[in-house]
Amino acid sequence: MSGFKRDWSGNAKRRDGPKPAPKQVVRNEYTPMFEGLRNELDEHHDRRERIVKASRDITALSKKIIFSLQRVRKIEDQLPANIQSEMDSRLAEISKLLATIAPEIQGINRYRYSRSLMCLEELVEALTFAHYLRTQSLISHTELDPIIEELTRKGAVSEDEVMADASDTAGTTATGKPAPPTAEPPTVSLTQDDYLYGVFDLTGEMMRFATTSTALSGTMAGGQGGEGGDDEPRTIVQDMHELGTLFEMLPVGSGNRFQWEKKLEVTRQSVQKVERLGYDRIIRGSERPKGWVPDLSSGDQGQGDELD
Amino acid sequence: MAPPMIDPTLFDELKTKIEEDTSVRKDLDQILDDLNQQVSFTQGVLSRIHSTPRSKYATLLGQIEGGIRKEIETVGKLSAFASQYPYYKYNHKWTRMVQDAVSTVIICAWLGGMSTDSKPGEIGRLLTLEDIGQAFNVPVNLKDRDAFHITIEEYLLGLITVIDDLSRLAVNSVTLGDTSMAVKISGFIKDLHAGFQVLNLKNDILRKRVDSIKYAVKKVEDVVYDLSLRNLIPAQEPQ
Repeated sequence: MSGFKRDWSGNAKRRDGPKPAPKQVVRNEYTPMFEGLRNELDEHHDRRERIVKASRDITALSKKIIFSLQRVRKIEDQLPANIQSEMDSRLAEISKLLATIAPEIQGINRYRYSRSLMCLEELVEALTFAHYLRTQSLISHTELDPIIEELTRKGAVSEDEVMADASDTAGTTATGKPAPPTAEPPTVSLTQDDYLYGVFDLTGEMMRFATTSTALSGTMAGGQGGEGGDDEPRTIVQDMHELGTLFEMLPVGSGNRFQWEKKLEVTRQSVQKVERLGYDRIIRGSERPKGWVPDLSSGDQGQGDELD
Repeated sequence: MAPPMIDPTLFDELKTKIEEDTSVRKDLDQILDDLNQQVSFTQGVLSRIHSTPRSKYATLLGQIEGGIRKEIETVGKLSAFASQYPYYKYNHKWTRMVQDAVSTVIICAWLGGMSTDSKPGEIGRLLTLEDIGQAFNVPVNLKDRDAFHITIEEYLLGLITVIDDLSRLAVNSVTLGDTSMAVKISGFIKDLHAGFQVLNLKNDILRKRVDSIKYAVKKVEDVVYDLSLRNLIPAQEPQ
């Protein structure tokens, strides 16, 4: 409950005034039934609250990862060391959070709380973006699943170690690893929607990346090219086109048509922004002063300031 | 060469899954269409209760039970079909209808219908969530496995519909000269109102509907007040 009431002289009023009265006054033949139902509902509400809390933190951490990744300037096998380490430390935190909610969202509860698990979309966005920056390709749902599972498992393990440390005084066996309490810890599974909507958001991040990296380096981000390929290395413009086409060709998910249309529209805009970038670079690339950043209207996040 | 941006199989996988989802929804819609019709019909028959004197309940209840039997049959189909998929993925599609179906059964039983061998029908009998599960022959409040069931929320929301309907019946029973019915309803609704106060509610649909119970209580209290003012309350049922 939020706060407490004060009496005239400013002293906190005790809560045992009129408040608990209804609890004792009415007991009738249906009260036990309602008490039973109340306990069940409370269990559900508490669980949802725990999930929502963790989900909020995971979302924030994922967003931070994305911001870090936006400081990458070109696509290459290895992320710059400082960004990689930032990402790793945030992923470690995410791991722990995932491990805490994993047991709560098994079986029937996976979809029960899927609306409280928007964080997974955000996490997918971060992971797909990182994957794109390293490999210039879109990671598939089936490839992503084991990564998330691994994250959850790591979080569970590190927690076990903490608990093992705490109970060291109780005399654990010296055989090294304490036997895990459950044969295999529950993991977090991605739904199709988590993946799809995460990838939708990826297009926005790619657009931002394309804009800043082009502005700052003067070249369109793309593959290294050179060896063996007889044609120009693929650039982000083509990648955006491919992604755009993917979404245009997919049948509209009938579950949430409205959200789908909205996301698709945003994706179209992102694709066109990157198209425009490609065009600009060809037409007046040489005239453009170094460091010039085109108008990012909806997507401005101030990366332009980081001209180091 | 670098790998392609999008693996060619990726599109097909996504497309197949979306199409599967769409076809499941279509099949569900067909079952739910049936259920919707049956529930509407049963509710229609039920509304005759407001113009039927208590002496003629028996025939009316028979008709209501006929409608309910059809509902039960369709819920069985729904259960068999929906249990193949994650329950909460599609639950939102039928939850309203199941609530309404549950409410028809609760009210029918309260009026004296739905009698079973162990529990004879009598006016004022409240079916619990478990009773509802037995009536529909489906599990209730499932937690350990992912299959069709009737949830606590669905039961409670259905019960609130019953409260609204009974508050209307209180008025109409007085019109039909059955004052003891109004008094009985008043006691029942007050007890349920007290019961709902026991719940810890969040700011959701259940909370909103529970908040509306007090209007039903007031409506019935007004009726009882009118009766007591005129000394019309039967003596054998002190309230």
